Amino acid sequence: MKAELEAIQATALEALKDVKTTDVLESLRIEYFGRRGKLTDVMKGMGQLSKEERPIIGKLANEVRASLTEAFEATKTALESQQQEQQLHAEAVDITLPGRKPAYGKAHPVMQTLERIEAIFTQMGFQVVTGPEVETEHYNFDALNTPSDHPARDLHDTFYLTDGHLLRTHTSPVQIRVMENQKPPVRIIVPGKAYRVDYDVSHTPMFHQVEGLLVDRHVTFSELKGVLVSFARQMFGDQTQMRFRPHFFPFTEPSAEADISCTVCRGKGCRSCGHTGWIEILGAGAVDPEVFRAVNYNPEEVTGFAFGMGVERIANLQFRIPDIRTFYENDLRFLQQF
Amino acid sequence: MNVTLNWLKNYIDFEFSADELADRLTMLGVEVESVKQLGVALEGIVVGKVNSISPHPNADKLVLCQVDIGEQDALQIVCGAPNVSERMSVPVATIGTELSSGITIKQAKLRGEESYGMLCSERELGISEDAAGLMELSSDTSVGTPLAEALGLDDTVFELEITPNRPDCLSLIGVAREIRAETGNELKLPEVNIRENDTDIREVTSVTIDAPDLCPRYAARVIRGVKIGESPAWLKQRLESVGIGVINNIVDVTNFVLMEYGQPLHAFDYHKLGENRIVVRRAAEGEQITTLDEEERELTSDMLVIADANKPVALAGVMGGYDSEITDETCDVLLESANFQPASIRATGKKLGMHTEASYRFERGVDPEAVIPALNRAAQLIVELAGGTVCEGIIDVYPGKSEPIQIQLRSDRVNFILGTALEATEIEQILYRLGFGMEASQLEDSSYQVTVPSFRSDITREIDLIEEVARVYGYDNIPTTLPKGDIPVPVSDISVEVRKHIKQFLLGAGMMESVNYSFSHPNCFDKVRLAADNPLRDALKLRNPLSPEMSILRTTLMPSLLDNAQHNHNHQINNIALFEMSTVFVKGEEPWRIAGILAGEIGGGVYGDPYKNPDFFDIKGIVERVLEVCCLTDYAFKKTEEPTFHPGRNAAVLLGDRRIGILGEVHPEVLEIYELPYKAYLFELDLEALANAADFSKRFEPIPIYPSVQRDLAIVVDKEMQSDTPIDIIYSTGGELVDSVRLFDVYVGDQVSEGKKSLAYTITYHSATETLTDKDVNNLHDKVVKRLNQELGAELRL
Repeated sequence: MKAELEAIQATALEALKDVKTTDVLESLRIEYFGRRGKLTDVMKGMGQLSKEERPIIGKLANEVRASLTEAFEATKTALESQQQEQQLHAEAVDITLPGRKPAYGKAHPVMQTLERIEAIFTQMGFQVVTGPEVETEHYNFDALNTPSDHPARDLHDTFYLTDGHLLRTHTSPVQIRVMENQKPPVRIIVPGKAYRVDYDVSHTPMFHQVEGLLVDRHVTFSELKGVLVSFARQMFGDQTQMRFRPHFFPFTEPSAEADISCTVCRGKGCRSCGHTGWIEILGAGAVDPEVFRAVNYNPEEVTGFAFGMGVERIANLQFRIPDIRTFYENDLRFLQQF
Repeated sequence: MNVTLNWLKNYIDFEFSADELADRLTMLGVEVESVKQLGVALEGIVVGKVNSISPHPNADKLVLCQVDIGEQDALQIVCGAPNVSERMSVPVATIGTELSSGITIKQAKLRGEESYGMLCSERELGISEDAAGLMELSSDTSVGTPLAEALGLDDTVFELEITPNRPDCLSLIGVAREIRAETGNELKLPEVNIRENDTDIREVTSVTIDAPDLCPRYAARVIRGVKIGESPAWLKQRLESVGIGVINNIVDVTNFVLMEYGQPLHAFDYHKLGENRIVVRRAAEGEQITTLDEEERELTSDMLVIADANKPVALAGVMGGYDSEITDETCDVLLESANFQPASIRATGKKLGMHTEASYRFERGVDPEAVIPALNRAAQLIVELAGGTVCEGIIDVYPGKSEPIQIQLRSDRVNFILGTALEATEIEQILYRLGFGMEASQLEDSSYQVTVPSFRSDITREIDLIEEVARVYGYDNIPTTLPKGDIPVPVSDISVEVRKHIKQFLLGAGMMESVNYSFSHPNCFDKVRLAADNPLRDALKLRNPLSPEMSILRTTLMPSLLDNAQHNHNHQINNIALFEMSTVFVKGEEPWRIAGILAGEIGGGVYGDPYKNPDFFDIKGIVERVLEVCCLTDYAFKKTEEPTFHPGRNAAVLLGDRRIGILGEVHPEVLEIYELPYKAYLFELDLEALANAADFSKRFEPIPIYPSVQRDLAIVVDKEMQSDTPIDIIYSTGGELVDSVRLFDVYVGDQVSEGKKSLAYTITYHSATETLTDKDVNNLHDKVVKRLNQELGAELRL
C-alpha cells in the first residue's frame, strides 16, 4: 500500500506538470481527490490494514495528501496569475492614442501682463484702485497741471465725446479722484484702459496703463527709484539695470523717464533697442505741488511720487509682436500662444 | 530739432565724442533720438584736379584725363562729362569706392583705355539731382582732401527731442548752455559789430504796438541796399545739415540766427510796407492775408498780426505775408525781432492748422532778452553776405518788460525732496553753471535767493530749481532706497473678488479671454437686432472718431464677441469659446459686464474626445456655474422676447426678482449678418449685480451621518410642462427629507402617447436625525407620486 501511495504521488506530480488550464487542473483534482478519486480509493482501503500498519500508512497517506494538496494549490495560483497576465496583456492600449485633455482657457496676454504688474505692486503695499474712462477736462488735464493752452496737451491726442466729455488719455485722473477723497498716506496703483487718437503698428487707440501714486509725510525721489528698480527686477529679471533720465510731465516735478537694460541684448546694443542698450518703459516723478494744491493737500506737509506705464509696451518686451494691433483682433491662433 | 557737433563747437568747447555727447545730453533731459554721421556715403571720394585732357583714341565722346589726387602719380581716368576742363577741381571716386547708387568703382578698360577711377557729378554722389556735368569744387581745396571734409560734411547730426517745458533748448546756444552746465566751460557767443550809416532808423520807419498783451516786445532794424542772392556754401551747408531749406541770403540768415539764438526773425521788403511802418495789432474779424505759402487765410479778431499802415503783412509769430516777402528785387529790408505771447500764437496756429519753426518756439516761450542780440547778429550777417548798410539805431518797443524772477531755495528742501545729502555749495555750483544768479539768503541758513535768467521761463518755483539740481547732479547719482512710510490698510473690494473668481472658472472651463476695443459701430445694435426702444441703443458718441467702426462707446459686449467669432470663422478657426470682462458705457455709468460666446465645435476633436456642437444647455451650464462661483443659489431662468435670440431658446437670468443678464441661442438672422454658418450661444451678465449679491462668507455644514436612500421615478406628463414643475412638488411634498432631485432622462417617442413626455428623476431621501427605514421612504415616495398625479396628472411610467 505504501508503494501504491508513493506511485499515486509520483504520477499526480508528474500530471500536474502538464496542466495548462484551471479546467484541466480541476478534472485532475477530481481524479485524485474526488469521491472516486485515486487517493480517496486508497484511503478507503485503510480499514483493511493491520493495527501496526495503520498508523504508519495513515501517516504516510496524510503526508501524501498534504503534499499533493499543496502542489495542486501552487499550480492553481500559478495558473491564475498566468491567466491574469494574459488578460492584462490582451487589454493593452496604444498609448500613443490622444489623451482626453480637459478644456483649458487662457487669459488675454495684455491681461496676463497687467496681472503680473498688479501682483508686484500689491506685494509692495499698493492698493489697486480704478476709475472712470469717460472723464472731464478737469480731471484729465486741469487738475493735473495741464491747462488748455499748455503745449503738453499736444502730446495727448484726445478723443472727445459729443456731450463734451473726453476719453481719459491716461489713468492719472484717478490719482486726483483718490486724493480728493482720502487723506495721506496714499499708496495706490491704477490699472485700466486709456485712449488716444493713434493707430499704427505700435499704437492702438485703446491701450492699458498702470499708474502708481505714493503720498506720505516724507516721500523722496530716491524712494521712487527704489520702488521702480524693485519692480523692474521682479518684472524683467534680477539682472535688469534701470536708468532714470530727466523728462517733463506737467503733473510731476522733478520728472523722469525710466529705461531698462534691453531685454534682448542685455544692454550691449541691438536692433530692438536702437543700439542704445536701453528701452524706455515708463514715466515718473515727484508729484508736482500744483497737483497737491488741486486736491487740497499742503505740499509743504506731504510729498509723493507717481509713475505710469503702458501695459502693451511692457507685454511686448516679452512677446515681441510686430504689430500690437494684433492684441485686439482676438484671433484664437494668437490667444492660444500665451 | 537737429543740431550738429561741429556747429555746437562754435559756441562752447568740449572734448566729448559724438556718442558721449549724445549720452550726456540724454542724461540731462535733452533726449537725443538719433545720431547720424554725415558724409558717410562719400567715403573713398577725394578732391582731385584735372591736370590735362587728351582725346580718347577710340571714342569721340570720351576724353582721357590725368587727375592729381595728391599721390605720387596722377591717375588716368576716362571721362565723358561735357563740362570737364583742365585745372578743374572735381570729386574723384577712387578704386574700391562704393557709390550711393551701389556701384563699386573698379579699375577698368573703357574702349581700350585704362581708367583708374571716376569723376563724379552731384547725382552720382547722391548730393543732388544735378547730373548735367561734373560737380565743380572750389579751386582752393587741396587735392587729396576727403570730399566730406571739403564740403563740411564730416559732421554729426543729433536729432533732439526737446520737452515742451524747455523752449530755451530749441537753439544751438541753448544746447551749448546745457553743455556748459555739464562741463563748466564758458560759452563763446558770436561777436557782433555793426557799422551803422547816418540815417536814423526813426526817420525811415516806426513800430506801434496796439496789442501789448499779445506782443511784449517788438524790435526792428532797417538795412538798405542789399543785394539778394545765393548764400555762401558754409551757410547753406549749416542749414542743410539740420534740415532747413535754403532760399536766399536774407532768409537764410534769419533762419541761421533762429537756429543760433532760438529767436525767430522775419525780414520784410521795406518798400512793400504801406507807409513803411509796422503796426502790431489784433486782426479785424474776417480780415485776409496771403501767407508765404501762398495760401489765402481768413483771420479772426483774436489773432495777432503784424500790419503796415493798411493791411496785415505777417501772421505774428507764425508766418510772413506773401506780398511783403523778400524777392530778387528787394533792396531795403526791415528786420523784425519780436516776442509774442505763447497762448495766442498757439491758438492761432491751431486754428489755421499752421505749424512753423517760429510758431513752434513762440508757443512754448522765447527769451524776450534774445530779441536784440539776435537782431544785431542777423543785421551783421546780412551786411556781410548781402551788402548794404544798417540804419542807425534800433526801434525797440518793449511794453512787456518784467523784472527777473527771484526764488527762495532751501538747500535742505532739495535733500528732503530728492533723498540726497548735497552740500549747499554743490547746489550753488550747479545752479550757477545753469546761468542762475545765486545769492545767499539773508533770511535763512543754507538758503539762496535765486535769480532766474530770462531764457528759463519754465522756472518759477522752488521745486523747479530742485529739478534743475537733480538733473545736473544726475538722476543716476541719487540713492535708490525703499519707502519708509506706513503701508495703508488695504480695503477689500468684493467686485474685484467676483471678477477674479469668475475669470478663474471660465478659464478652467476652457474659454479664452478676449479683449476688445471699447469702440463700436453705431450699426452694431441693428446687427444684433436690438429692439428699437432698447435702452442699450443709447450710446455715447465720439466727436472725433478714427472711423465709423469706432465711433460709439459700446453698451453691451455681445456684438464684440460676435465680431470675434466672425473674425475667427473667416480664418477657418471654428472652435470658438471666448469670454470678455469689461466695463461698458451706459447712462453716464461704467458698469462691469461679463459675456461669453460658444460657437462652432467644442471638445478636443480627437479620437476618444470628438468635437461636439455646443447647445443651449452648454451656455446655460456655464452661466449656472458662474452664479455658483459667486455662491448664489437663488437664481432662476425665464424666457424672453429679446430679438437677438432664438425665441424658444433663450432665458433671462433672474436673481430674486431682478434680471441680471441673458443667455441663449443667437437668432439665425443675426448669425447670417455675422456670416456664421453654425449656431452660436451667448451670455452676458451684470457683474455689479453679481458682486452685490455674492457672499463668500462660507460656513461649515455638518456632513450627513445617517445614510441616504435613493429612489428613481419616471413620470409621463404633458409635453409642454417645464421640467422643474415636478421638482417643486417633490420638494414641497418631502420637505426636509428630500435631499436632492436630479433629472436624468427626458423621453419623447413611441413609448409614450402623443403630446406627452416622460421625465425621470433620482430622488435622494435623507434625514439629519435618524436612519430612514424602507417603510419611511416608501410612504414618503408614495405621497410624492400621489401628489404628482393629483396636481400635474403625472402617470407613473413603469
